[in-house]
Amino acid sequence: MDGPGNVLARTRAGIAIKGIAKTFDVRPEPVRALERIDLFVTEGEFLCIVGPSGCGKTTLLRILAGLETPSEGTIDFSIKHDDRPLQSMVFQEQGVFPWLTAIDNAAFGLQARGVPWADRQERARAMLGKLGLKGFEKTYPRQLSGGMRQRVNLARAFANDPAILLMDEPLGSLDEQTKMLVQDDLLKLWEESRKTVIFITHSLDEAVVLGDRVAVMSHRPGHLKAIFDVKLPRPRNALELRNNPAFIEIRRLIWDSLREEVLRARGE
Amino acid sequence: MANPSGNSTIRPPQGKTKGRPSRSRELAISFASPIILFVLWEIAARTNFIDRRILPAPTVVAATIWDMIKNDDLLRHTGITTARFLVGMIVGTIPGVLLGMTMGLFRPVRVILNPLVAILYPIPRIALFPLVLILVGLNETSNITMIAIGPFFTMLITAMAAVINVEPIYRDVAKNFGVKPRHLYFTVTLPAVLPALMAGGLVSLGLALLGTVAVEFLVSTEGLGYIIWNSWQVLSLSRSMAGLVVGALLGAACYLLMDWLERWITPWQRTAKR
Repeated sequence: MDGPGNVLARTRAGIAIKGIAKTFDVRPEPVRALERIDLFVTEGEFLCIVGPSGCGKTTLLRILAGLETPSEGTIDFSIKHDDRPLQSMVFQEQGVFPWLTAIDNAAFGLQARGVPWADRQERARAMLGKLGLKGFEKTYPRQLSGGMRQRVNLARAFANDPAILLMDEPLGSLDEQTKMLVQDDLLKLWEESRKTVIFITHSLDEAVVLGDRVAVMSHRPGHLKAIFDVKLPRPRNALELRNNPAFIEIRRLIWDSLREEVLRARGE
Repeated sequence: MANPSGNSTIRPPQGKTKGRPSRSRELAISFASPIILFVLWEIAARTNFIDRRILPAPTVVAATIWDMIKNDDLLRHTGITTARFLVGMIVGTIPGVLLGMTMGLFRPVRVILNPLVAILYPIPRIALFPLVLILVGLNETSNITMIAIGPFFTMLITAMAAVINVEPIYRDVAKNFGVKPRHLYFTVTLPAVLPALMAGGLVSLGLALLGTVAVEFLVSTEGLGYIIWNSWQVLSLSRSMAGLVVGALLGAACYLLMDWLERWITPWQRTAKR
């Protein structure tokens, strides 16, 4: 809820992350994973977060998803979501349930919310269709390729129609060509719906192709090092953008900031 | 050099493409392999390559089986063995699965019961029989208890390990999509462990059959185990062999049934293994 001092959140709808920190109580000594993150994500924004391995970006996302509790700080969601869920997470590829068919996977969130069978089947089918999986509704995930499985994963989150999508390196396990195709699908879906997205990735290219802004996180304990605006016009085409001089320039700027952290992470 | 001109071309294979045989062909091969074994056995026995008195030819065993069906109530004995086996299997597996899953889900239960399992499980089960007979009595209940012990421990350990090893990401997904904690069990845990339970069931099946025959060797006056042991003691090897073959057929039938059950209960596994 809005506190009296929360002017920012009252004027703009979005996600206000205030002083979030996380310490894992593990042996032999506690690990500080996140160091006081302050960040405001505006409603409808596509924010990408990059950072070296182990910088706590997944931890931040898990806190946002309600799967982890912060040790310090608060998060205020001031996004109206009425009858739709506030947030859904797109997990890594292994998050698709092997015992459900593609359509039952896609309808999983709707089923958990008690949407009637016919309705949820229709919405899941439509979403699979949009992602090029028409005809694979009754197929089990293990019969699908990695790219198709990841589309099922996306369909599950989009069919649930949340106000916020949290994505944890959803395309990390895909090969380079497939990744570009799924990025393109993702861009199209997002441009239709304009949901608020927080997207964690290892890939700088991916962050620049997809994001309105790219946040760089430091080496452990992770804190926000810098935020870059990506002023590339939309709608974007994931397959062609990479040759655009503006793309190359912004990518270089962010890499200069990230490189130092990556090297520090390696040196440890 | 196969090609004197020096040119070489890679072509797709002509005619029917080779590769994995079709399902019907696989089935035919599966049927052929035991039949070939029987044929070889028959030839070996008839040519005196193996001693017929010790290992009678399959046709002789078949004739003996037929004779025993007509004169010695072989079908009734088979029925008794089947019933014991099935009851023991059910009495063992169901509590084993329930207890194993409970131990896997709740750490305190595991901490309390795991030492007991560690003490009881490795005891050679047949060595428990005298104790069971004293505790339960010289009756069918103690027979069933003996048969059930194997499947019970197998399913307990399988279920516990399977529950502990459920990918944590599945629970995260379910939680994130708003599945209530009390519904996690049926939406995630159970389907995630089913393939392991089916595999454990297959192992239990062999153990239960072993237990049944062992009990019938020792105390029973009925059943296939009794026939095998009794015939051996009166040195009627072909009758003993007949009992063994019927027992093997029973085991094979149960195995196939279980295999079919697995395909039916976990259809997502069937396609994954191709």
